[in-house]
Amino acid sequence: MRLRRRDLHALAGAYALDALDDAERDRFERHLRRCQACENEVRGFAATAAALGRAAAAQPPPGLKERVLAATTVTRQLPPVTATPRWRRVVAGRRGAAAGTTRTFGMIPKIATGVAAVSLAAAVALAVITISTNNSLNAERAHSQAIAAVLAAPDAQIVSGPTSAGGTATVVASHRAGQIVFTSAGLQVLPSTQVYELWFLAPGSARAAGLVPTAVAGSTAPVLASGLAIGDSVGVTVEPAGGTATPTTTPIVVLAVPA
Amino acid sequence: MCAARSEQEPAKRADADLDTLLTHVAKGDQAAFEALYDQLAASVYGLIRKVLRNPSQAEEVTQEVLLEVWRTASRFDPARGGAATWMLTIAHRRAIDRVRAEEAAAAREQRTAQAPTAVDEVAETVEASMDAERLRRCLAGLTELQRESITLAYYGGYSYAQVAALLDTALGTIKTRIRDGLTRLRACLGVS
Repeated sequence: MRLRRRDLHALAGAYALDALDDAERDRFERHLRRCQACENEVRGFAATAAALGRAAAAQPPPGLKERVLAATTVTRQLPPVTATPRWRRVVAGRRGAAAGTTRTFGMIPKIATGVAAVSLAAAVALAVITISTNNSLNAERAHSQAIAAVLAAPDAQIVSGPTSAGGTATVVASHRAGQIVFTSAGLQVLPSTQVYELWFLAPGSARAAGLVPTAVAGSTAPVLASGLAIGDSVGVTVEPAGGTATPTTTPIVVLAVPA
Repeated sequence: MCAARSEQEPAKRADADLDTLLTHVAKGDQAAFEALYDQLAASVYGLIRKVLRNPSQAEEVTQEVLLEVWRTASRFDPARGGAATWMLTIAHRRAIDRVRAEEAAAAREQRTAQAPTAVDEVAETVEASMDAERLRRCLAGLTELQRESITLAYYGGYSYAQVAALLDTALGTIKTRIRDGLTRLRACLGVS
């Protein structure tokens, strides 16, 4: 059922408290684009809601700060939006929904819910950082900065896949840097006499690319490996502790890195 | 700098400082982000935990929110509201996203088994500051229906339709009570 304009105005309060369902929220945001009075009202309500929010302040868990700060070192920031002049917004609004509606009118950038709220690279970074904070923070930061270049590289690609040892392996690769960052989650735990070893695989050759550290809470800390060549895949095998110069077992996963 | 003329001025100055910090964060300044964390992480985490109740979920969502702040700092526009409002708006939205996602997954039992947040409980968590005292007073100045509608929606994470069902009141009534209550609260708090 279509709400009348007057009813739409009345939703400003519920909107500011995030108490609308998705369809109503969308409809109200469309209305906001054309209603300066509503925009002002929502702004005031948002500040009022924030006062309620601050009243709920509670001590964050220990370690959170270190994890978040470390994650920022490996997370690229979005560029600013170059603003559309107001008259163009109005024109776009009159033309209808099809054109010029990319500008977001809510208080915050519109981002899909849940995991997608964080970009894939950032999600990897967060996962990576979360499980590797046993190390000292300074060492972590240095390490993070080393892998930041790969994660933030303009040509960075992410490939991910299940392994025959369970769980998932993920590679962030930059051909420009010639490097990869490897992480995994949920791999079968190996006895202390064995280790997962990384390889750059090309037809007829396998170059050792490092050992995967022992998982903490199911996930392994990021491994930075250099020497990626065009056409390489990244593979993982189970090897005797200390690793080997050539693979001795069938890879549990092979991830092809697009050229 | 002239002396503060009213109790509101130091607060305003602090808000302006937060805006400046966030502007620095947009340029990749990690020290500014750390300072921002020190000032607002407790609010962000506290609010999210209040809505979600589950501490480990709250920690997870808090991490996502703070990283989102870092990533999207360049989208912050001081003309549209202060830094604290911006961050807490994101925090609340993400907490609600999580609530709705769980509802969709029919994993709601745990939350609904708990009693809705009472106003007294809200008041308890409020720090013993001037602002908190004023908020308590302002909340007390609302009608019971206004206060309940607002706290159930904001802290309880309920949609206004769910609030209407909980309070056994007509949808349209809840809609207007929320709006009227916020208008009164805004005036009482002196929010511009």
